[in-house]
Amino acid sequence: MIDIMLMAYRDLSERKARTILTLLGIAVGIAAIVSLVSVGYGMQEAITGELTAFADLITVMPGKFAGMSYVELGSFTDRDIRDIRRIGGVKEVTAMMHGAAEVEYRDERKPVFVFGGDTDALSSFYVEPVGLAEGRWLRENDYKVCVIGNRVATEFFDEPIHVNDKLRINGEKFIVAGVFNKASTLYATDVDPHIFITLRAARDVLGNEKAKYKYITVRVYNINEVEEIAERIEDRINDNHGLDEFATAMTMGSMLERINSVFSILRGVLVGIAAIALVVASIGIMNTMLMAVMERTHEIGVMKAIGAKNRDVLSLFLVESCIVSLMGGLAGCIVGVILARVVSLIVSSVLEIEFVPDVKAGVLLAGVGVAMCVGMLSGFYPARKASKMSPVEAVRYG
Amino acid sequence: MIIRVEHLSKVYRMGKVEVPALRDVNLEIEEGEFLAIMGPSGSGKSTLLNIIGCLDKPTGGRVFIDGANTASLSENELAEVRRDKVGFVFQQFNLIHSLNALENVSLPMFFAGVKRSERLKRAEELLAKVGLRERMHHKPMEMSGGQQQRVAIARALANDPKIIIGDEPTGNVDTEAGNVIMGILGDLNREGKTIIVVTHDPGIAAHAKRVIRMRDGRLFGEE
Repeated sequence: MIDIMLMAYRDLSERKARTILTLLGIAVGIAAIVSLVSVGYGMQEAITGELTAFADLITVMPGKFAGMSYVELGSFTDRDIRDIRRIGGVKEVTAMMHGAAEVEYRDERKPVFVFGGDTDALSSFYVEPVGLAEGRWLRENDYKVCVIGNRVATEFFDEPIHVNDKLRINGEKFIVAGVFNKASTLYATDVDPHIFITLRAARDVLGNEKAKYKYITVRVYNINEVEEIAERIEDRINDNHGLDEFATAMTMGSMLERINSVFSILRGVLVGIAAIALVVASIGIMNTMLMAVMERTHEIGVMKAIGAKNRDVLSLFLVESCIVSLMGGLAGCIVGVILARVVSLIVSSVLEIEFVPDVKAGVLLAGVGVAMCVGMLSGFYPARKASKMSPVEAVRYG
Repeated sequence: MIIRVEHLSKVYRMGKVEVPALRDVNLEIEEGEFLAIMGPSGSGKSTLLNIIGCLDKPTGGRVFIDGANTASLSENELAEVRRDKVGFVFQQFNLIHSLNALENVSLPMFFAGVKRSERLKRAEELLAKVGLRERMHHKPMEMSGGQQQRVAIARALANDPKIIIGDEPTGNVDTEAGNVIMGILGDLNREGKTIIVVTHDPGIAAHAKRVIRMRDGRLFGEE
């Protein structure tokens, strides 16, 4: 066996340029598979990992999703919140109000979206992941105090806003207690263009008679009960409003499911693309091996004339294509891992999502395995053709 | 008797035309003979040699080598005959260019499954026997025609066959080198090998103990 490998190696190194080209063909195919799949897994993990941190969370909205768009059907009342608090297994309930308000800063007026909500809940949603650039976060007993998103502070008005500056929201004077950092892509639309105030202040400033909530978040004690509680919340609120599909209660579980299915489709597409690359590579191997067979018709004839059996010739050519494809597969894995890292770096800096590619050992093994299979299969036909050659005819070519 | 040829015929098909190359050839060769087959080109002498050497299959008739009927052997068994019982020396040398002399000589032993150390040792001995010990690491392209043919003879001897077959073994070398080669074949014959050569050079045929002539696919004379 070692002898056959030595001989195959020598034959391959005699035709270096062609061997390297063939090897490259396989390496590119395998590198494509390894890097695309690893980046896909890495992204999925980054996103699902972030979401599973909120596994005990139920988000309730007064409306429904129709396909990709959300239709708001109204708002929640204090009674809705009281009723949700009474459901077994519910740990805490926070309500949020939001609405556009006219904000005035140094004689300039702009419409800005204002959020009012439970300070602890808002803190865990936004302050923990994004962080503050200056100042402090809201306290429960703050009243005319606000924290502003980064774009509100730096872009909305001619002059930048800093901590302790004063601005008016719908005519009421507020003091800026803090300014958010610039948020990553995941949070940018939620934080950067908004102003955050306490619920008490929001009730007064956003000014409606019945204090209507647009958003309720619920935390449960037991993650396993989260789906069941979400359903009960929907039923209770629908009863309160006398509508069948008034409220939508979303859990991270249902979102995770959706994201995972999107990613498995994505992976399928990526693997499909890479498979096409591999088919091209295997045609390359077959071509190389067929050329080698034709080129060495005479040599094969000589080998058979001095006693080589069909299977000696077959195994020599198969070992050759195996060596090429194994080396191509290994090279492809190495290049694939590097490529996955580079792609991840670029993607994470463009999307501002931090993630590293998840290179699974199984994917690497499969990469090398697929390369070997492709090599064997596309090497088999030429090898068989070589082994079947009649010695007397082959020798005559000399 | 080491080789017996009975009613051997061979027909080549060229499209719809049938070209007879051998017609009812009968021949017996004793162990230890030195036989030369002479005849003009197209007389069928190479075809006869190829069939005796199990490179080609007859259309009719039978060939016995060392008692075995080659017509009843499978392709693998024929490969074994070529490997172990017959050593072939071609006009074109037919060495493998990517291998050096030592590796070329050890190749038939490689196919026979001989251990690497053993076959390299024997290949070295065989190259010494044909006077090429100091050239054993050279590749064929770095050697003269005569030297290449001596490597080919060493290769034919690798698995110690009883029969050495030469198809115009001196056809591609100069007279001096040709004499060296015939000398080596003569020595091998004295050691007990059965030698069969095809040639159209009477000077070469003079080395043989028995000469048969062919024309139009038939044997027609013996000296």
